[in-house]
Amino acid sequence: MKRFIDPCCEKCNHSKETPCKDFVECCTRGPICHESASCAGKRKAIIDRVALNEHFVIV
Amino acid sequence: MYEKHLMICGATGCLSSGSAKVQQALEDELAKRGLKEKFRLVMSGCPGFCEVGPIIVIYPDEVFYCRLKPGDIPELVEKHLLGGEVIERLLYKGPDVDAPARFYDTIPFYQKQKFNVLHNSGIIDPENIDEYIMRGGYRAFSRALKMEPMEVINEVKKSGLRGRGGAGFPTGLKWEFTYRAAGDKKYVVCNADEGDPGAFMDRSILEGDPHAVLEGMLIAARAIGSDEGYIYCRAEYPLAIKRLKTAIAQAEEYGLVGENILGYGVNFKFNIKEGAGAFVCGEETALLASIEGKRGMPRPRPPFPANSGLWGKPTCINNVETYANIPLIVREGGVEEYVKIGTEGSKGTKVFALAGKIRNTGLCEVPMGITLREIIFDIGGGIKGGREFKAVQAGGPSGGCIPAEQLDLPVDYDSLTQAGAIMGSGGLVVMDDRTCMVDLARYFLSFTQKESCGKCIPCREGTKRMLEILERITEGRGEPDDLDRLQELASSIKDSALCGLGQTCPNPVLSTIRYFRHEYEEHINEKFCRAGVCKPLFEYTIDPELCNGCTRCARICPVKAISGERKETHVIDPEICTRCGSCVERCRQEAIKVTPVRREADVSH
Repeated sequence: MKRFIDPCCEKCNHSKETPCKDFVECCTRGPICHESASCAGKRKAIIDRVALNEHFVIV
Repeated sequence: MYEKHLMICGATGCLSSGSAKVQQALEDELAKRGLKEKFRLVMSGCPGFCEVGPIIVIYPDEVFYCRLKPGDIPELVEKHLLGGEVIERLLYKGPDVDAPARFYDTIPFYQKQKFNVLHNSGIIDPENIDEYIMRGGYRAFSRALKMEPMEVINEVKKSGLRGRGGAGFPTGLKWEFTYRAAGDKKYVVCNADEGDPGAFMDRSILEGDPHAVLEGMLIAARAIGSDEGYIYCRAEYPLAIKRLKTAIAQAEEYGLVGENILGYGVNFKFNIKEGAGAFVCGEETALLASIEGKRGMPRPRPPFPANSGLWGKPTCINNVETYANIPLIVREGGVEEYVKIGTEGSKGTKVFALAGKIRNTGLCEVPMGITLREIIFDIGGGIKGGREFKAVQAGGPSGGCIPAEQLDLPVDYDSLTQAGAIMGSGGLVVMDDRTCMVDLARYFLSFTQKESCGKCIPCREGTKRMLEILERITEGRGEPDDLDRLQELASSIKDSALCGLGQTCPNPVLSTIRYFRHEYEEHINEKFCRAGVCKPLFEYTIDPELCNGCTRCARICPVKAISGERKETHVIDPEICTRCGSCVERCRQEAIKVTPVRREADVSH
């Protein structure tokens, strides 16, 4: 998962063809539809790569 | 993980002062040292302080380096990135700071600003949708999709947001009119035809945070029930257009634009229309005609676009900054925060472009209600060269000039209108004591006259006649009743012109007559321009009491009109002098004076 649009695992189905209503929230707070530390870590890795400081992400 | 992020201003202002070369030097240096995986380089949006560009802000240190050259880069990499040492000589220095300022918040230019619309500019990579989402992006749109259209509209109404493009019409009300208009097809249009001389607010928003504008338009579409939108952007803004196209493609890929958006069964398609640069196309009905492929000419209203706009369909049209405000309002708890900023009648912030004789040219975002004095002196750093402030032109060619006596005027829609100016889109052109207010009025009127589409007689003919009078006055052929004629014509044009351009174009003339009548009278009755601008109406003379015979003026004079021996008083030959002003700029003694023409000159040419 290099970008938020990439699925974190097989449980994520969001794409423009099969959209998920929670997609935007899921990017920074996800995963929302399942529990997985690994999937949460993948999102955090995307954020950590570009976040300028601890105030960068607005929750 | 990167150790540091280097945000280089990649907006048009810094690009023109060489930021692309600085970026290339940095790319090369990092590659040469094998450091590309340790330090991230981003061409970001505009941090506002164009005067000191090219700018790099290094995070997480938050150190602000300015006026960079490619030759500074090896030292920056060696000392700061690798050695952790701040390079003092590259920090901001100026008369407004005691010591070099290393952080944003220690630079006076930023201290009174409030970043709302520009909160991402210079912070994110504008070509990366993920970063926009991390900063809260598209959350307001997701929320709006769960709301009823009138709930969204009511939040916008409650925020008190007024259109940032010029007239200041309440945005929520405009949306409600479009929502209630009958029609199976409705359009959302973004007016990005920023045409005022010296204004670049919208360009910077589009270049620095394009997704904010897209999100605002998507929310508008949700509110009024539209499935298609147009962004009308002038072709002179290629970087803004490029970033918009990238942002739209990313939003489509993410399922935020297109069909069945986020599974809510709503569709939306963006189109970009590149305008050819006609000023009149900033007027909404002319803009819509241009999108339709017709000549960009306004039409009478009503019907207003909310009822009959693009191809006769109900159309919600707002400008770039207005749309960029929308996500801040519609996000969870947004209205409550939004209304805390500003005045009773003007909520939120306003982005201004500072231009003219001001020390800190650039872009600033301030809370409504701040005074002009704070903007010009605290943020803008006062007048270049320590000269005297004379006036500020607010609102571009459709606005008016505000004199020094009104510097404590709060900046909001109603106060500016009462003072004879308008908020306009946010251009502030500052003038010093060397600006001739008659010539200024002539300049702005010549601009609007050239840009008049010619459809209605008051604007087409009226501005021409007004311009002829102003040209006569600045050439020394003014007549005693010219001021009455100007005011009479201005009044007729304001009352009868077809569109906003025509109705407001006399404003610079009226406001300069209102506040600087004595300058007009001096031009007409004494044939004298004390600012030294209208060439037939003054000559330069050297004050023998002040001249120390340094010869600087004689050496710079391009036509050899100045003579005199070293350490002796110099003399200007008025027959040779072209009044270019080079000697005035060069003289350190301020010995060169603007004086009335001494001879009985033929000033008709």
